[in-house]
Amino acid sequence: MLTLAEEILLLVLDDESGKFIHVPEHSFRYALSGAVLMDLAFLGKIDADPDTLFVIDSKPTNDEILDTLLKPLSESNEQRDCSYWVQYFGRDAFKIQNLALQRLCDSGILTREDKLILWMFKSRRYPIRDGFAEKEVKQRIMTLLFNEDIPDPRDIAIVGLADACRLFERIFSRPEYEKVKDRIAEIGKLELISQSLSKVVREIEFQLAQATAIGPM
Amino acid sequence: MELKVSMHDDVTVAAVEGRIDGTTARDFEEQVVAAVPEGGGPLVCDLASVSYISSAGLRAILVVAKRFKTDENFFSVCGHSGPVAEVFRISGFEKIIPMHSSRDDALAEAKG
Repeated sequence: MLTLAEEILLLVLDDESGKFIHVPEHSFRYALSGAVLMDLAFLGKIDADPDTLFVIDSKPTNDEILDTLLKPLSESNEQRDCSYWVQYFGRDAFKIQNLALQRLCDSGILTREDKLILWMFKSRRYPIRDGFAEKEVKQRIMTLLFNEDIPDPRDIAIVGLADACRLFERIFSRPEYEKVKDRIAEIGKLELISQSLSKVVREIEFQLAQATAIGPM
Repeated sequence: MELKVSMHDDVTVAAVEGRIDGTTARDFEEQVVAAVPEGGGPLVCDLASVSYISSAGLRAILVVAKRFKTDENFFSVCGHSGPVAEVFRISGFEKIIPMHSSRDDALAEAKG
């Protein structure tokens, strides 16, 4: 099974070009850290309540991506909530991204192509070699959004991650999005880590919007 | 975490005591599912004596609720109050899962 970080990477890759679609950089960083935290929660390594995220099993998972976060969490004596850790590990998101991309290439889902532009700038793209995993995720999420089924925890996580990156606003037409936006919010709230991720991203968007409105002093 | 099971006509009531968190969530799932007689039937999960619920506990309740819905059996949560009710409220569970403030209300709906 793919990790949530791998799944969100597949969702932000454009099928045709193999390039990342434009997603706000801060949203994507926090989505990656949130993805790893949720995978750790699903494995029973960490748990959370509205006030604190805590480790319940510090034994390494032997998964490099997951252990990159589990180790510092286990070693920390701080009582912090999910929002804090989503932001804290968002700083290491580039490492998570590279590890997850490498794993997708190793497993034959993606292939990596480097091209030189103007003989100087390297452009990297990741065309999808085996689209089954990506199509399966997209299909499952679309079905979930348009019915009233109780979502399973993994699908809640993917909806929360995609929403944090504002992917649904790109995938759906405006009228379609209006129809499903309440359902997206409803599903994302069901998981506390996902809820914190959304809060962190929206707060930053609010700050950016305020800074833009005020302009340079 | 402990579960006390009782039957009210054909409705199973699973009264949970203690904490539903990362260390007890798996037991909770297994015991609630096992509480219902073979062949299925409606279940009311009474959380009046639950003092704490974490993210893992919420997931366990969702997993059980999904299983009952898939099998077309009634499932409801009742009796939650204080910090447990607050966690349900901020997670919007009442929009996804039938929830009642009292066991009597939940039983009335299960029998109705």
